[in-house]
Amino acid sequence: MAKVVLESLNKVFTSKIGKDVKAVNNFNLILDDGEILALLGSSGCGKTTTLRMIAGFETASSGQIKIGERLVNDLKPAERNVAMAFEGYALYPPLTVKDNIAFSLMREKISKEKVDSKVMEVAELLEITDILDRYPPSISGGQQQRVSLARALVRDSDALLLDEPMSQLEPQLRAVLRARVKDYIQHNKKTVIFVTHDQTEAVALADKIAVMENGDLKQLASPYEISAKPSNVFVASFIGEPPMNILKAKINTVEEKLKFEILNDENEKTFSIKFNKDNIKKENLAKLANDQLITLGIRPHKIFFNEKESNFDGKASSSSYHWLGDQVHIGIEINGSSIIGVADRDFEPSSDVKLNFPAESINIFDLETEEVILNGL
Amino acid sequence: MRFNIWGVLKILAYIAIIMFFLFPIAWIFNMSFMTNDEILRKVPVLFYEPTLKNYIGLWKGEIAIEGFATMYVYFKQNLINSAILSVGSVSVTLLLGVPAAYAFARYKFKGGEDIAFTLLSFRFAPALLIILPLNLYFSQIGLYDSYFALIWVYQLITLPLLLWIVRGYFEDISPDIEYAYRLDGHSWFQSFWRISIPLAKPGIAAASLLCFIYAWNNFVFALILGSSQIQPVTVGALAFITASAIPYGLIACGIVVSVLPTLILALFIQKYLVQGLSLGAIKG
Amino acid sequence: MSYLKLENLSKSFKDDKVISNLNAKIDKGEFFVIFGPSGSGKTVLLRLLSGIMLLDNGAIEMDNQVINEFQPEERDISMAFQNFALYPHMKAYDNIASPLRANNKNISDEEIDQKVKEVASLLKIEHVLNQFPKELSNGQKQRTSLARSLISKPSVVLLDDPLRNVDAKIRFEMRLELPKVLKEFNTTVIYVTQDFREAMALGDRIAVLYDGKFNDINSPKSIYQNPSSLTTAKLFGDPTINNFNATIKKQNEFVEVDIKGEQIKLKRKTNVQDGECIVGIRPEDIILSNEPLENSIQVEFRTKTPLNLRIVFLVRLKNGLELLCSTTEEESQLIDENKKMYISFLEEKSHFFDKETKRNLE
Repeated sequence: MAKVVLESLNKVFTSKIGKDVKAVNNFNLILDDGEILALLGSSGCGKTTTLRMIAGFETASSGQIKIGERLVNDLKPAERNVAMAFEGYALYPPLTVKDNIAFSLMREKISKEKVDSKVMEVAELLEITDILDRYPPSISGGQQQRVSLARALVRDSDALLLDEPMSQLEPQLRAVLRARVKDYIQHNKKTVIFVTHDQTEAVALADKIAVMENGDLKQLASPYEISAKPSNVFVASFIGEPPMNILKAKINTVEEKLKFEILNDENEKTFSIKFNKDNIKKENLAKLANDQLITLGIRPHKIFFNEKESNFDGKASSSSYHWLGDQVHIGIEINGSSIIGVADRDFEPSSDVKLNFPAESINIFDLETEEVILNGL
Repeated sequence: MRFNIWGVLKILAYIAIIMFFLFPIAWIFNMSFMTNDEILRKVPVLFYEPTLKNYIGLWKGEIAIEGFATMYVYFKQNLINSAILSVGSVSVTLLLGVPAAYAFARYKFKGGEDIAFTLLSFRFAPALLIILPLNLYFSQIGLYDSYFALIWVYQLITLPLLLWIVRGYFEDISPDIEYAYRLDGHSWFQSFWRISIPLAKPGIAAASLLCFIYAWNNFVFALILGSSQIQPVTVGALAFITASAIPYGLIACGIVVSVLPTLILALFIQKYLVQGLSLGAIKG
Repeated sequence: MSYLKLENLSKSFKDDKVISNLNAKIDKGEFFVIFGPSGSGKTVLLRLLSGIMLLDNGAIEMDNQVINEFQPEERDISMAFQNFALYPHMKAYDNIASPLRANNKNISDEEIDQKVKEVASLLKIEHVLNQFPKELSNGQKQRTSLARSLISKPSVVLLDDPLRNVDAKIRFEMRLELPKVLKEFNTTVIYVTQDFREAMALGDRIAVLYDGKFNDINSPKSIYQNPSSLTTAKLFGDPTINNFNATIKKQNEFVEVDIKGEQIKLKRKTNVQDGECIVGIRPEDIILSNEPLENSIQVEFRTKTPLNLRIVFLVRLKNGLELLCSTTEEESQLIDENKKMYISFLEEKSHFFDKETKRNLE
């Protein structure tokens, strides 16, 4: 398996009528040998185009793609030594599932026993041993997707590219198969790049996540960092389920306590969150200007309920209550502003909800540029 | 600009091919504006004095040929016959074929595929195979020399043609769209008329055009099963060749006029063909 | 008084009994969720309810009237399809207006215009009304489809997994928005989904569909905490419930669970007979610690992965049985994987299922 390097990668789709489409803008990435990268974003953000450029199905408009030490820009897909699992599965209809998976191994010079044992290994991993002798048209979409994934996993290649590899899987299987696939990939030290629009999948599988939007790379970091230290509002609100609460606020540093006045869509004040200035680092305080308008973000999981005292002024009432087995999602209204909180499954909100916004969980973003100012006070 | 030898050769090849196919047509077009003398001249000329004598003759029904007597032509009637037969055939085919195509697309019934294939197989058989028996039958039941008979016979070819093309288009429409329309409160027929047919328009348009061309160009059936009264232009053109003279100019003129309706129809239908293809699928 | 009654519904295709003896009573204004894995017959059931498909057997009663023989356009039921099913040759405006333009209604153009704009505004799609479906994003198509199904204020609206084909992020937003929108229309909602979280978040009651019929019809909490069978229990919860064969023996106020030699004691009462059964315990109901607590058993740490802002530990008993345990992020930081690990089961949270039938024995 090899290192993958993308330098200033660009892709522009020219059009004879209308505007050109900038699908991928100046994408830079270094992925070490054996690392797993997720390209994460909504439809049309450029993640699939990027993957296809690495595979060789799209030519880069400019920039360099290196797999291992080789510059592969001008190489055809077959010459790049990459394995790929496609979003549309692309299984060979006249071959059985077993032969589909083994197909790519036939080119490598290994014995039939070895081929069989490799195929069985991935088949057991993905729970498709019972359909090995069936043909693609006769199995379900979720099963086809697993076969496509098996076919790509089993190959020995410099890099493994997966396009939405688990989107059609039955929800009951997803957590288990994800863990097994991650184990297999790590065990075999494969370099993997996969595309997904599901942030849960990205967080569970990847060592590094590249969040993309409109062709731009919004942040490239580990799952932990992206979740705890998002570098802009887009990334902050994309990762996490329920998504981060994003609020508009005005800073007040002149009073005794540091105050964030939360504003609604009409810029009217709804409630304020207060902090003791002594509890805040000096260098952080220095980054905040009085009367400055900012975007404030706080994750639902980081809002603490059952506190004796709230650190905001305003009356909070619960507007929705979703009991989800291992946790509850509570919709809260405070003077007209709505936020979502996550609490322990035994929690039942009373009419007067007490909650606390911890300082270390407050994220501050610039209102215009949406870039981060502080991840935690 | 880079001088590319392959580019130049490609263009030359295009020109050669276009000339090869279009030249005879262009020549006939020219001939229709020439008199017989000019046509038969030993050395062909590019420039000549165009005359409308042929067209007027076709329209009036008679033309004077130099050195010979007046020649009477019934071309106008032939044109009308062609029109009646073609429009009639296509209408019948649409009326029967479109609902049938829908049935084949939506309902899986026993022997469905077999019936569809049988209908298609009619195209495999050459017309000559059945022409004599048909002639006998039609004469016996008094259908010889009637528009009705010819339109009926044309269905043998046009109906399967339309069926197979339009069925594919109906199959491409997701049934959910039709269900949705019915759940909105509309009846089955309204869903067929306002949803299924408009969405299959390109297919119906293309198929209609092909059926029209078939009917318009048909020669064998028209020749054997009808007399001069219902003869379309294809058969009527034979009458131009008389013992005394072959009025090439007139023939050329007849050809141009015969081709015109189909050409105009094709151009007109193009709009529907393109329009339908751009509507896109349900999702994404 | 139930508004919609489904009595012994059956539908087969050749030898495949897709739906057999399905029963349910749905109240007026209820948000009734039908939850089932793919292939369980949800789509067929919706087609039977909407009238697109005919029943083999059974009766559908709406407002005390049997509607089996009614054509789709005669039933006061509308449907939003999973793949949207918008009319591609009509603008969004006309798609939404379509139900109001059906024959049996006499509504003026002005009124139609007003109603379309009202619904569009509620679903935040006024700005795309003049566009054709192919120009809309998936989220906008979904809202247009919903607008169309709600505009005529039907008595019952069927929503066929409407959030399935929508991006993960928008799905969550709509999950919060949908109930509010639907409340405005005061209609009885039958919502089909494959996502158990969606089912639990949205439903007043959930009907769990598999084996051709509803196996549980209950509130989300009841189904989660008291499933009728192991199959139902497995369908709710991520990661899936741990389940394993064991022999149980009641001893005073304990139940001794013997798993192939390993023993763990549960402090609880039960009416279940001693003997072999399948024991089920959810990952979040297993207590993980570095110290041997009361009634705990030692385990070996294997891996840990993050999942939905919780941490999932894979542990293994001495006899090879693997179990998943989930904790909050904060709790996981108190566990040291390099030290010894012990697990115990939360008292009342274990389940006992019959070994053959998989039914809940309690």
